Amino acid sequence: MPALDKPQQPKPFKQRKSFATRRQEVAGIRSKFPTKIPVIIERYPREKYLPPLDKTKFLVPQELSMTQFVTIIRNRMSLMPSQAFYLLINNHGIASMSLTMAQVYKDHKDEDGFLYMTYASQEMFGQE
Amino acid sequence: MNSVSPSAAQYLGGGLQDEGLASHPDGYRAPARDPRGHFGYGSGSDGGREAAEEPDEVDRLKAKLMSAWNNMKYGWSVKSKTSFNKTTPLTLLGHSYLLNHEDEVERFSRTFVSRLWLTYRREFQQLEGSTWTTDCGWGCMLRSGQMLLAQGLLLHLLPPGWAWLDGQQLTDVEFEILKPRSPSRSSGVSLPAFPSSRPTPRGRGGTAEVSKRAPVWRCSSETSQDRQAEAMHRRVVCWFGDHPSAPFGVHQLVELGKSSGKKAGDWYGPSIVAHILRKAVDKTSELPNLTVYVAQDCTVYKEDVMRRCDCSQSEGSSQSGSGWKSVIVLVPVRLGGESLNPSYIDCVKNILRLDCCIGIIGGKPKHSLFFIGFQDDQLLYLDPHYCQSVVDVTQNNFPLESFHCHSPRKMSFSRMDPSCTIGFYAKSQKDFESLCIMVSTALSSSKEKYPIFTFVEGRGQDYGLEGQSGVMPEQDAHIQPRGKAGGGKRCSVDEFVFL
Repeated sequence: MPALDKPQQPKPFKQRKSFATRRQEVAGIRSKFPTKIPVIIERYPREKYLPPLDKTKFLVPQELSMTQFVTIIRNRMSLMPSQAFYLLINNHGIASMSLTMAQVYKDHKDEDGFLYMTYASQEMFGQE
Repeated sequence: MNSVSPSAAQYLGGGLQDEGLASHPDGYRAPARDPRGHFGYGSGSDGGREAAEEPDEVDRLKAKLMSAWNNMKYGWSVKSKTSFNKTTPLTLLGHSYLLNHEDEVERFSRTFVSRLWLTYRREFQQLEGSTWTTDCGWGCMLRSGQMLLAQGLLLHLLPPGWAWLDGQQLTDVEFEILKPRSPSRSSGVSLPAFPSSRPTPRGRGGTAEVSKRAPVWRCSSETSQDRQAEAMHRRVVCWFGDHPSAPFGVHQLVELGKSSGKKAGDWYGPSIVAHILRKAVDKTSELPNLTVYVAQDCTVYKEDVMRRCDCSQSEGSSQSGSGWKSVIVLVPVRLGGESLNPSYIDCVKNILRLDCCIGIIGGKPKHSLFFIGFQDDQLLYLDPHYCQSVVDVTQNNFPLESFHCHSPRKMSFSRMDPSCTIGFYAKSQKDFESLCIMVSTALSSSKEKYPIFTFVEGRGQDYGLEGQSGVMPEQDAHIQPRGKAGGGKRCSVDEFVFL
């Protein structure tokens, strides 16, 4: 199977759009759907094993738990349950699976109003 | 100025001298394995490898060159010594040692040397479906996984606090009074024996080398318990032998990895290895009272663990009535993106302080290590990157020496790869319940807002999507067709997806 990191990785969402545009988008969608949370999900730039997602912007019910959210994303990628899959908030920390999206949003939303998450599997180890 | 100690020469002898290649370490580069060619899932089918047509001679030479290269590169080099601070405690698998006293050094040595050390091996029976007769260069994560499992098995089968009677003294170590900022390695003066416990006044002066190699812990009055424990120790080592019939040998582990899309020669990750270990323990009949649980999505579902342990509930269990199985809980995690998120360091330390922790398999980027402790800002590890000749464990009284390490090594937390699997062991139901509490406490110390993983009541399926009102997973998978990335669909990419 060919490596999946070859196709050009799209520019990160934050680089594609200005802060003002992003903020406007959030304001627009939040006014229409006040109970839903705008989430940006992007592939870890060095990810080699997980496929890219065709979509970046998700509107997620706020009562959804992280477990459910991860399950949905896993299903979209047709991953096996044992396949390593991690969502890192702001490319940094792991989110507890028992939290609701509303809690994670409250703690970690960006200044522009989006919640940013990166997905990654695990690295493999062997001799360079 | 350093002379080669007999022990160091022996180390070297195992790897380089009998290869006759020591003087040309750079003359050969091991064949580069491209990890990107192999997926962690699905079926990676890049067919027969180039070596398939090559004669055995070439393979053997390749293996020799590769092991020489490995040993050179990952260096059990003669001069490097590991310095331990005498003034701050060293933690090794839930126990703490203050190395300012000879007794403590002794206690630490015994514990360290008694751990099982599983390394690359060469010239074992060909791995089925491949031409590989060595795992040098690719099997390090499998070896780390073996060490993790072995630690669990020692706790499971041997008396508490067991130590190998024939263990040898540590080599290549020195004990210093380190100033806060001093480098971890120094060329400090080595003294032939450990000095008195009194610290020397100068900051760097108090180094000592322990260089005796004689087994010192075997006393004349060997009890029958000792003999029993020794027989069990030997049996555990046998299970990790490099031949197809060993339940946890590299042959078996590679075989069990095939259903995850891995094959001999591939690189393995800590999560895949956790699942391989689970399958290996499920498969063997040697350990009817042990089970392995692997957490998914950083969550340990307590009810799922209990169901694996409770023999009356586990499906297909032939020996009913044997009550409760002991359990090894493995938690694959990713502690950051590119590098380890430093706010998790305290958490990792707290986990290694627990005596239910059996270690962490991870490593430096691309270089797997088995982490078993820490001191200050450095992790203590066992390194599988040492290529040894295969040992025939089917023979009575096969030599055990190459399965134990007497040269502890450390590395900085900052170099730790974020991908790892953390292991725990609970003998009884009560142990498991206290494990949940203790580990949760250790995890809550993280400086990050959320713990690195959680224990949850109930079963995984209770938290999935089944039966959740109003949440319907979309069935159509939105995976971008390969080779057709980006390009012309900008606006659709930018639409919100409603979940």
